[in-house]
Amino acid sequence: MLRPGLVVLSMVVFPLAEPASTENPLRVTTDSSAYCLELASRFAGQPGATAEPVRSLAEEGQRLCENGHVRTGIAKLRRALRASQQAGG
Amino acid sequence: MVLWWNTAGALDRQVEAAIRADATALQERRRAGDIAALVAAVEDRLAVDVQNEALYLLLTAEGRRLAGNLSTWPTEANAESPWIRIPLQRDGAVSEARLLRVDLGDGHRLLVGRDVAEKLRLRGLLSEGIAWAASASAALAVLGAWLLRRALENRLRPIYRTAAAIGTGDLTRRVPLSERGDEFDKLGATMNAMLDRIAQLMEGVRGVSDAIAHDLRTPIARARAKLEEALVSAQDEEALRAAVEQGIADLDGIARVFKAVLRIAEVEAGARRAAFAPIDLAPVLTDMAELYGASAEAQDQHLEAELDETLPLVGDRDLLAQAVVNLLDNALKFTPEGGTVRLAAHRLDDVLEIAVADDGPGMPPADRQRAGERFFRADSARTTPGSGLGLSLVRAVATLHGGEVALSDTHPGAERPGLTVTLRLPAS
Repeated sequence: MLRPGLVVLSMVVFPLAEPASTENPLRVTTDSSAYCLELASRFAGQPGATAEPVRSLAEEGQRLCENGHVRTGIAKLRRALRASQQAGG
Repeated sequence: MVLWWNTAGALDRQVEAAIRADATALQERRRAGDIAALVAAVEDRLAVDVQNEALYLLLTAEGRRLAGNLSTWPTEANAESPWIRIPLQRDGAVSEARLLRVDLGDGHRLLVGRDVAEKLRLRGLLSEGIAWAASASAALAVLGAWLLRRALENRLRPIYRTAAAIGTGDLTRRVPLSERGDEFDKLGATMNAMLDRIAQLMEGVRGVSDAIAHDLRTPIARARAKLEEALVSAQDEEALRAAVEQGIADLDGIARVFKAVLRIAEVEAGARRAAFAPIDLAPVLTDMAELYGASAEAQDQHLEAELDETLPLVGDRDLLAQAVVNLLDNALKFTPEGGTVRLAAHRLDDVLEIAVADDGPGMPPADRQRAGERFFRADSARTTPGSGLGLSLVRAVATLHGGEVALSDTHPGAERPGLTVTLRLPAS
């Protein structure tokens, strides 16, 4: 009920929010199993990859990727990578 | 608008600031090393992007992809403006990307951006909240204004109805007052006081017109009759001259009455207030007591004065002196031979009391109410000369000075009670 009003309000009040182009929408290439493997490989090369709890976090990420939960798995692997980099200084 | 600028608008600015900072850091990396260092920096950033919002695309001059997570270089990125807003396909859902084109200067092309879907959702929620809040505020404001207007109309209706009735000539109407004692009641009470005053003044004007018509017609007719009689019956020039002189004296008396009426009108209009100054009445009254004391002695009367050393007040010296002169004239006129007139003036806190007391016949309480009216003369005074204007001037002078006049018996209960006229004025 309110949505049409909000659209009109947005057009009047938020002129900076110009509509995005709908031709050839971009895709994100990192939401894929291939990138999941790439992250796992990158994690394995980290100096603190065997330390806990980051190792378990990375393993859980890989498992999620293998089970089809790619975005969640990638998020876990990225957390593990960040944690291992912070631990390694 | 301000609320939106501080909330939803801040999200946009925050995203743009993060993109700009990221792009600047990557440009610095490119300047510091070769293209491989830039590729590594982009890949490192993507590898630790836990929020999964970062977007990059690095191409060679030939369009070969070196790093990044965007599928293609969008044609919109070749526009003049470096900032792009473009739909983004993600897991089958359409999101939105905010991108900044960075010119690296060596033919390589770089896009840096963020997936702003979450920010847009948050902004939508905030905008919806603001819209609801603004609508509710507007509704409350309209309701409040309507209630206020209704309440004001209800309170003002008696006032403008009264004003309308007065405007059509019904001067008896007054504003009905509630028991609240608020500003509207004060306004109504002030209007009523104003209307009372106007009615009083109009009554006074009517009274003066009537009085002039009645009280001056007699002396004019009398003077005319005397002159006519002299014209017909004067035996010689001497008798005629005497009659003319008498006629002139009569006309002078009428002129004096007119002058007195005009002066009272002038005092009542407040025109003399501009001449107010701090004065001490004590020396004025002392001189008056000496002057009238001699006059009283000549008629075998006594004038006793009892005055404070100083009697300070703010007022018009001439008018106050004239008022006291009128009181002394009246007192001496009604006091029999051997009688005493007392002039007393004291300061009592913030009030100056000037009292003139005589041993005359006094005035019945019923007449005292009318004693200040122009041309009013009590029955007991009909036989004594006078115009009936002396006490009117005294009352007008007292009112002009914010004071009052009180009449009382000098000797209560006596056969000849006498009259004491007390003039109460605010002291300075």
